[in-house]
Amino acid sequence: MNGAKVELRGLRRNFSGTTALDGLDLTIEPGELIALLGPSGCGKTTALRCVAGFEQPDEGAVLVDGSDITRVPANRRDAGMVFQSYSLFPNLSIRENVAFGLRVRKVAAAKRHARAQELLELIGLPQIGERYPHQLSGGQQQRVALARALALEPRVLLLDEPLSALDAKVRVTLREEIRRLQLSLGITTIFVTHDQEEALSMADRVAVLRAGRLEQVADPATLYDRPATAFVAEFVGTMNRIPGKLSGRTVTVLGQDLPVEGDVPATSDVEVLVRPETVIVTPDPSSEAMILVSSFRGSTSRLRVQLGDLEMLADVPGHDTVRLAPGTRVRVELVERPVLVSASSDVAAAVPVPEHDVV
Amino acid sequence: MAALTPAGPMAPMTPPAIAAEPGGKAGRPRRIRVWRGVVLLVAAVYFLVPLIASFTFTVKDSSKGFTLDAYGQILSAEGFGKSLLLSLGLGVATIVVVLLLTLPAMLAVRLGLPKLKPILEILCTLPLVVPPITFVAGITTILQWGPDHLADTPFFQTIIAAQNPDFPVVLVLAYVILALPFVYRALDAGLGALDARTLVEAARNLGASWPHLLFRVIVPNLRSALASASFLTLALVLGEFTIASLLHYQTFPVWIYTISGSQAQVSVAVSVFSLLITWLLLLALSSAGARQRSGS
Amino acid sequence: MTVQSPVHTAPAAAGGGSRPKKSKSWLATVPLLAFVVLVFGVPLVIILGGTFSREGTLSAANVTDSLQGAYLTALLGSVKLSALVAVVGALLGTFLAQAVVTSRFRLLREAVLTASGVLSNFGGIPLAFAWIATLGNSGVVTSALGLDSAGWSLYNFWGLALVYLYFSIPLMVVVVVPALDGLRPQWREAAQNNGANTWQYWRHVGIPVLTPTLLGGVVLLFGGAFAAYATAAAMVGGTVPLVTLQIANALSGNVLIGHENVALALSLDMIVVAGLVMAVYLPLQRRSARWLR
Repeated sequence: MNGAKVELRGLRRNFSGTTALDGLDLTIEPGELIALLGPSGCGKTTALRCVAGFEQPDEGAVLVDGSDITRVPANRRDAGMVFQSYSLFPNLSIRENVAFGLRVRKVAAAKRHARAQELLELIGLPQIGERYPHQLSGGQQQRVALARALALEPRVLLLDEPLSALDAKVRVTLREEIRRLQLSLGITTIFVTHDQEEALSMADRVAVLRAGRLEQVADPATLYDRPATAFVAEFVGTMNRIPGKLSGRTVTVLGQDLPVEGDVPATSDVEVLVRPETVIVTPDPSSEAMILVSSFRGSTSRLRVQLGDLEMLADVPGHDTVRLAPGTRVRVELVERPVLVSASSDVAAAVPVPEHDVV
Repeated sequence: MAALTPAGPMAPMTPPAIAAEPGGKAGRPRRIRVWRGVVLLVAAVYFLVPLIASFTFTVKDSSKGFTLDAYGQILSAEGFGKSLLLSLGLGVATIVVVLLLTLPAMLAVRLGLPKLKPILEILCTLPLVVPPITFVAGITTILQWGPDHLADTPFFQTIIAAQNPDFPVVLVLAYVILALPFVYRALDAGLGALDARTLVEAARNLGASWPHLLFRVIVPNLRSALASASFLTLALVLGEFTIASLLHYQTFPVWIYTISGSQAQVSVAVSVFSLLITWLLLLALSSAGARQRSGS
Repeated sequence: MTVQSPVHTAPAAAGGGSRPKKSKSWLATVPLLAFVVLVFGVPLVIILGGTFSREGTLSAANVTDSLQGAYLTALLGSVKLSALVAVVGALLGTFLAQAVVTSRFRLLREAVLTASGVLSNFGGIPLAFAWIATLGNSGVVTSALGLDSAGWSLYNFWGLALVYLYFSIPLMVVVVVPALDGLRPQWREAAQNNGANTWQYWRHVGIPVLTPTLLGGVVLLFGGAFAAYATAAAMVGGTVPLVTLQIANALSGNVLIGHENVALALSLDMIVVAGLVMAVYLPLQRRSARWLR
């Protein structure tokens, strides 16, 4: 089994006044796991549902391996889907759930059962075939839903926030498992999520969506280290915004001169976007900066540092926590590397919100 | 579904030509809309025509064409006030008795005797299985048999008193039984939503006495369940014909039946009227429930 | 102490207060239990005892009588009418409910649900008169459409079925709407995603999930039609053989001397039929509640 190439071309979709998709272009390579990431209402779920066939785009096309499937009914598409939750048929046993697609296609019972058993073994739950959905935990249900989505050997797998209803611990193990399965099957996978950590840890590439448009698509490391826009920078990971003075392609911030990367705004008063881990904090009794709060996270500690009327976050190694207790005077520097800048009021609603995407 | 290959699970991604027609998608919702429209239209005709026709029946007049006389005659018709008052009185008495019986028992079971719950549930559901006419067959037999065999005992007086035509207690007793299943369900739902145990324990912990607790804590929080139980009971009593007529009491429905022979228009007018009253009661009830929900 | 209190900040006080509560709580159930046993149980015992006694001796003659001739016809007539009303009412009620549930107009939904609540309680004498005024011999619709000359009569088996549906369909709507609301859109989409068309979705998922509720509705409708007496009495008197009319007739003294207890035997027949039908209902209700949670 190998994955198909999926292309979204100029997808546009309006829901009575609100624009869910505004000309979305995206190509997903065969066998790739791509995460669609964005805040609620950015259109990521709508895009996925266009691929599944539950939504029809007003304009644009969905292509799979070059052929246009935009108008193909959902039940004739070659894409398995896992829903957010509660999608297992409550009246059917787990085995019948997994074999549902085969039954609809009139595959003989023995063959069906064998295939269902094979899939249950694949997801690591070989003994639950006779049980019913309400007897399973949330994590088990989602695994079964995954098995059901894979039963017809689709060439595209669609995951609509499949982990968002689960406990934090189950979420982490299950995402590793999904990734392992996806790699071994080589199936093209589109994964919708609002959780940036999930997207970064699982995906080959992450596509950040904003208001129905593609903001940036890149592999996780690039996305994190070299966000193309301020929106991406703030949505993915945590960012400090520190005022700076721009001159040419150099910005002066906290007394340091750093090269600027990406777009340069027209004004010279800018805000410099800095990740907490690129803020260096060293104890210095003569400095005016002071640590307000320190929250220990094991391998690191996150500090909230006050500098004049500015507050910023800094991540330091966990073993430094003792000498960097709240109240300590510190000197603050930035790692010498290119930074992103933005005009002061550029990014308003870019804060990642851990909510379910409604659309 | 001809395009699906039954031989194997691998379905072709390329669509058959018919599926790709742009009109294919738009056609389905339209068909559903038409289907739904037909269903709703037929239902509207079936449910509205008798109401409209009944009203027309009561206001048409061979000489004048239109008249509201029938409604005017309701009030002056002989026995109207008396039978309506009797039915209302029976309704109120039934509500009081049934609530006094069920509420303490159900609270007690919920708070301290969960083992009794299935028994209570079965007892309160059983009357659904017994049609009122069979129930009245049993009662009639007792009422006939009693005077013959109990003439010398105090029971005799009790049985006679229970059959007082001005206020037949025997009907209240029967109606309490008929109302039990509905009252039980309404209160059970209300108590379930209330988490009575926590509420009672919190109140006891704050030093509330039992009567205080019952009337200041439980009852106000159960208002909507009590209202719905009361409404169902009242509607049941106001409409009950079988038992009252076979025991020969002139309750409101029996009265309507009695006058229908001589005053057909008036009897239909009263029927329309009684439906309106039910409707108003239900609206009042649902808005009271909504108010409570938004209030809390 | 069986009290597991989440607010046990003062164990001594709460414990002291709770101990007498336990004995009291036992007492609180006594009036209800005593009432049901007396007012409900005694008539049932009388029915049972009376059924099996004729002229003072133990006998099954009443039962035998109640299961032959006109009495049997009436019992079967009631079962037939109730079964027809239950099945047709359940089907039409489900279609109506589905039409309302899938509608985008909230107001329509509210209106139909409220109307169903009222109309499902609309029975007895007023219902009969409303229909007599509509489709009776001199009813408004009858004369407007000239149905009387076409041989129309409301006062027969089919007329009764038409009238009984008037409260049965709304009752079905009330019963089935929560179940239809409980059908999750994900199920339909998951079925489509697995290649099922609309019919296959309903056949493998929708209808099986609804079945307990639908059967429960059929049972409720059957019970309602089976027990109905007032509407039939006001509409058809004795022209349609129904067991409720026969019981009323027998109670009014229209029986052979010495056969008075046939009314009780007929009552017992009814209770047995209704009990059998109800026995199907409760377990089904439990099952659907579990699925639709």
